[in-house]
Amino acid sequence: MDFFSPVIAGFGVVFQPENLFYCLLGVTLGMLVGVLPGLGPAATIAILLPVTYNIEPTAAIIMLAGIFYGAQYGGTITSVLLRLPGEASSVVTAIDGHEMARQGRAGSALGIAAIGSFIGGTVAVLALTFVAPLVAGFALDFGPAEYTALALLGILLVSTLGTGSTTKSILMATIGLLLAAIGQDPLAGTSRLTFGSDQLLDGIDFVIVAMGLFGVGEILYSLESLRGKSAPAPSVGSVYPSRKDISESKGAITRGSLVGFVLGILPGGGATMSSMVAYAVEKKAAKHPEKFGKGAIQGVAGPETANNAAATSSFIPLLTLGIPANATMAIMFGALLLQGITPGPLLVQEKPDLFWGVVNSMYIGNVLLLAMSLPLIGIFVRILRIRAAILAPLTILITMIGVYTVRMNVFDMYLMVGLGIVGYLMKKVGFEPGPLVLAFVLGSLLESSFRRSMRLFDGQLTGFFGQPIAATLLVAILLIITVPPLTRLLRTSRRKAEA
Amino acid sequence: MTSVTPEEEEGLLVPPSPEYARRQNIVAAIIPLAVGVIAGIMSWNLGIGTLSNPGPGLWPLAVSVAMVVTAAVLALRSGPTGEEETFTREALIVVVAAVSLLGYAFLFERIGFEIPTVALLVLWLKGLGREGWRMTAIISLGSTAALYLLFVTGLGVSLPHILPF
Repeated sequence: MDFFSPVIAGFGVVFQPENLFYCLLGVTLGMLVGVLPGLGPAATIAILLPVTYNIEPTAAIIMLAGIFYGAQYGGTITSVLLRLPGEASSVVTAIDGHEMARQGRAGSALGIAAIGSFIGGTVAVLALTFVAPLVAGFALDFGPAEYTALALLGILLVSTLGTGSTTKSILMATIGLLLAAIGQDPLAGTSRLTFGSDQLLDGIDFVIVAMGLFGVGEILYSLESLRGKSAPAPSVGSVYPSRKDISESKGAITRGSLVGFVLGILPGGGATMSSMVAYAVEKKAAKHPEKFGKGAIQGVAGPETANNAAATSSFIPLLTLGIPANATMAIMFGALLLQGITPGPLLVQEKPDLFWGVVNSMYIGNVLLLAMSLPLIGIFVRILRIRAAILAPLTILITMIGVYTVRMNVFDMYLMVGLGIVGYLMKKVGFEPGPLVLAFVLGSLLESSFRRSMRLFDGQLTGFFGQPIAATLLVAILLIITVPPLTRLLRTSRRKAEA
Repeated sequence: MTSVTPEEEEGLLVPPSPEYARRQNIVAAIIPLAVGVIAGIMSWNLGIGTLSNPGPGLWPLAVSVAMVVTAAVLALRSGPTGEEETFTREALIVVVAAVSLLGYAFLFERIGFEIPTVALLVLWLKGLGREGWRMTAIISLGSTAALYLLFVTGLGVSLPHILPF
């Protein structure tokens, strides 16, 4: 029973009143940001980073995790009712979900989404409970060479699998790595790229980068449509799905759980991609694929289950390898670092309270969310009427004062606003901040493990191929870089040959 | 500024012309290209060392080179991708907002957080958001108090202030 005793002890941690409170606070905030278009979970978590600094670590991470998976529930509401996805991961839900709403079945769509999300989330936590310690155990032997390859693979996968153009994402990643290099050299202590400023000597704090690019950037971007009227709150009807709805969605929920869990673990996967894949899977598996786009309940159940399962399983690489799988996890990584905790394979053993407390809080969080999305949905629908013009100044002030409180330093405010302007401009020209933030987080790990490997291998790059795990990962990297352009070349040449 | 008519509002969603998008893409690639070149030169001057015994400049130089190469590829492939957005008159709001945030940071430690916070709220609510005066007054005073409660009372951090607390 060695395995289960820390797991059970973790429930003891969750049921402490303070942690239950932060779990409830987190999932409620998550529902809210999910409902309110404009501010995503990554931005919200980024903005709240300084606030969490003053909370006990386990409670802080429980709350931030709640925001993340809670947003997956909330994002559905606007997708279905208004065809305005609150989150990128709910974009595909809007297709059939909104169609159902137009046919007067909004309640069924929301109800099945909530139930699917609950099942997907819970299945993923269960699987996480068993998979995470295995991965962590496997990763205990990782040395600098493995970490170099792993970090590089993580950055590349996020860049190539992301939603935007690959070249743009890779450029963003290099900018993130460059920003991470600012400050003292980790080994020699020489100051690098600081322009002689003492303020930059310690490097740029991750909190500032995340809050600037995600928080301030998104708020500035939302200002352009500030004067839009608030949406009228539509009627929902009964949110309890009928027996027919449930029997039609059973398969979709099962497949969605699986797709979401697997894709969530992969770097660059995460909630958005898994919801899209789940939609495609449902369309393939359907007996009547022609119903998709016209209000097929499977088109809601599959993606909504998957995005929740993925939101949960994307914690695995973060908590076991110390490698965040997507931008939100990168910010979560920052939150852990801020608390003085380095996520990695040792976390399960060294901080079982934190690890199992956070994991088990997800069961409770999912139950709370199910309760909020079924009986209390009316309240959240009414929140849709809060105008952006009121929300924007409040969030920006929390951000501004928040960043100040981290180091009690006004310079950080300037830096964050500067990065916020960059983030706004990036959005305008079609660059994603995700790869930048992720690369920034992994930058110092990548550099220090690369340099340590180089010392081990006496400056020979080929040394990496002497380590089986590192070599496998590097081969994977090579394939990621070379295969897509090659297939594109092949396809165009074949098309030319056919023409 | 006049109020935005529905037609104008729809006008915001019109994608930029191909020439506009191309120009925007080129600028968006040249800026990181230039930054990469500058960072590369600075790194070079820090000292490169060797792979087995790297100097402080080796890592930033490698990253800068990667940055310059990808930016150059982007500059060459500057065709419209459909992700570009036109900078409309609404972007002026963003300029005003950004300047107001810098002003906020400037005043924050000099005159305490209370006055700048109320001022920023009034500017954003009334000036940018066109809320009514009553709403503006209630929200700006109420949220300044709420922010005080959150950070000073709730989280126990000390902010620069003029009111005695």
